[in-house]
Amino acid sequence: MPNVPAANLFADYSLGTAYDEMFDSAKHPRAHYRPLFERLSKLSPDEFARRKAMTDLSMRQDGVGFTVYRAEEGIERVWPMDPVPRIIPADEWSVIERGLAQRLTAINLFLKDLYQDQKILADRVIDPALIYGGGFFRREFVGADVPKGIYVHVCGTDLIRDTDGNYLVLEDNARTPSGVSYMLHNRQVLKRVFPQIFDGYDVRSNDDYPAHLLDVLRYIAPPGRPDPTVVLLSPGMYNSAYFEHSYLAQRMGIELVEGRDLVIDQNRVWMRTTRGLQAVDVIYRRIDDDFLDPLAFRPDSLLGVPGLVNVYRAGNVALANGIGTGIADDKGIYPFIPAVIKYYLGQDAILPNVETFRPMVPSHLSHILANLDKFVVKTVNESGGYGMLIGPASTAAQREEFAAKVRAHPRDFIAQPTISLSTHPTFVDGKALEGRHLDLRPFVLCGEKITVVPGGLTRVALPRGSLVVNSSQGGGSKDTWVLA
Amino acid sequence: MLSRVADCLFWMSRYLERAESVARLLNATFHRDLDLAGTDAGDDNRAWLSNLAILQQTVPDGVAAPHAIASWLTFDLTNPGSIIGCVNRARNNARGIRGTVGPEVWRAVNALYWQLRDADFEARARSSPFDYYQAVETGCHLFQGVCDATLPHDEGWQFIALGRSLERADKTLRLLAVKWTELNGLTDDSLKALEWGGVLKSANAFEAYQRAAGRVDPDKVIEFLLLDTNFPRAVRFSLEEASRALSAIDGFTDGRSNGRAERQLGRLISELKYTEPGHLVTAAFSDRLHGLLQQCLAVGRTIHDQYMLTT
Repeated sequence: MPNVPAANLFADYSLGTAYDEMFDSAKHPRAHYRPLFERLSKLSPDEFARRKAMTDLSMRQDGVGFTVYRAEEGIERVWPMDPVPRIIPADEWSVIERGLAQRLTAINLFLKDLYQDQKILADRVIDPALIYGGGFFRREFVGADVPKGIYVHVCGTDLIRDTDGNYLVLEDNARTPSGVSYMLHNRQVLKRVFPQIFDGYDVRSNDDYPAHLLDVLRYIAPPGRPDPTVVLLSPGMYNSAYFEHSYLAQRMGIELVEGRDLVIDQNRVWMRTTRGLQAVDVIYRRIDDDFLDPLAFRPDSLLGVPGLVNVYRAGNVALANGIGTGIADDKGIYPFIPAVIKYYLGQDAILPNVETFRPMVPSHLSHILANLDKFVVKTVNESGGYGMLIGPASTAAQREEFAAKVRAHPRDFIAQPTISLSTHPTFVDGKALEGRHLDLRPFVLCGEKITVVPGGLTRVALPRGSLVVNSSQGGGSKDTWVLA
Repeated sequence: MLSRVADCLFWMSRYLERAESVARLLNATFHRDLDLAGTDAGDDNRAWLSNLAILQQTVPDGVAAPHAIASWLTFDLTNPGSIIGCVNRARNNARGIRGTVGPEVWRAVNALYWQLRDADFEARARSSPFDYYQAVETGCHLFQGVCDATLPHDEGWQFIALGRSLERADKTLRLLAVKWTELNGLTDDSLKALEWGGVLKSANAFEAYQRAAGRVDPDKVIEFLLLDTNFPRAVRFSLEEASRALSAIDGFTDGRSNGRAERQLGRLISELKYTEPGHLVTAAFSDRLHGLLQQCLAVGRTIHDQYMLTT
């Protein structure tokens, strides 16, 4: 390591077994991190702490974060942003970009096939029982047409890096992925509080994401609506992602509506305005399938719009994402995505999956049960870091519990070797930089063409050694730079 | 514009205006108490009970001393009518329109909320409340300024103006109704001047009144706060502003409303407009004020029915 003054942010930086984004194994900064490393080396921990405090204040004043409600008062948990950016060089990004476009293309072909001809099932690439047994397959939509044949318009795919630095797909989020507002907002905040660290870098802008998203939404409007009315449907301000809903609606210049603002009449969707009812053509919905329409799905849902699904089926309103896309990001289907890519595109997956074992396969089951202390076991229909067993960090009792559950409900679980996500210098305890594990969620849009906005949401696990980056589990985030 | 959004804009503006009114009222009352310290009038809690009447608040059991009433009306988040309660409600409404209006408006409301919720700031305010009331006033002015300077002056902006002006008319009418009943029996001239001066300060009208009318005289104070056509918190001025906002909204909404609220408001304004100067304060003055207040409330209900209950 080059000579550095005593009170240095990197003074106690140590490398673990994981791949470190900034340093190679000899603890030299990688080429694309060198200017950043040199700049940070000249900063005192106090100065850095001041910038971090500015970041926190800015996040709080902008009201960026999650809301937990208690009686009268909203308890806001600001989602902490670490001011040290994560940097992705252009050559790495071009692989990621191609890999993500390939993956979403295949996923959309897959969904179209599943809801139309089911050739992939007839060819036994995937056992139909896995599809029909999946919690998110909407068999009532088999045979229904969707606008322009696109099911997933917005996909957030989680990438991690193994110890050799290879990017792997950990999971797809093909229902209502969130986090893109943090990607956009983190950049704005970092520019405000730390303009100097952009010196010497040509960082690609991610700011046109909302414009691209609006293009996609307008593209899928029902025919004959040259100037469609597009709205964003949110569960409302008590939803944890409400910041994102309002942010995107504002940036796209469209109305943010709640279920109670919409009404169905004459097989069309209308919103209640001060001028009376106004027709709605496209809904970017941020409500899960289950809550979308109490007449079609959960009858107890107060968030949705009674009759919406009927209008959708009639082709009088477009929904993004479409209904029933959850089968594509079902963790029980995830192991088949490389085969899905091969089947529809005749290509090998550019971004590989994490090696995954399925308890439904007898040889896998015995392997999983014998190695529970080394595996991560995931419930297929859970997200947000819930319903997981992290083998190396588990107790014998927890392993017992999961072993019983896996035996009883093999379709509901998958197991993967514990991957030590890559680490990145992160400011902790207000005094020093230490390595913390992180992942990357880029956002992929599919309309007339596929667009991958350069960047993504980098989530970082703040507790030392933690591999769980979810915001609900003590995660933070970083600005993500893709270099030109 | 979505009816729900119109509702949020209207109430965001109203609640912030209300927070500012409460702050000014309490600030004026603290000043009054200090001016009268050591006298009989300075030692009772008469002015504080009036404040409760003006704000239509009922204190919980055990809250009777001036400082306890002041705390209840200032810091108590469980009291929706307290300053922090109003700012909190304004903020919840602002949250409902974050997707509609620019980030500056939200930030203005949110930053005020967090400034007031700061534990150190609140602790200092408990011993010396003036900074707190000043911060509320400044924060509310900042909010109105941000709305004027950053939002298009379209339908939504008119709902903000409407909420603000109706709230001002309402608060000034209540202030006059309660204070007239409380003070109209006073005989001591200097006490009268001080108390009615306090009424003016509660409406931020002291300097404006002096330039217009000179010495503090109860009848003239009432006339000024009710009928002045230039002062922002005078009832007539506020209602005329509300009327302008309503006709602008009707323009934006293609006359869908049939102008019912506008007509109600027009009748109310006419009543003030054609009042004979010098003959305002009569034996039935209290009834008259309450009549005006009822009409004001009726306008608010009509606005709600016309624009916010779209089916």
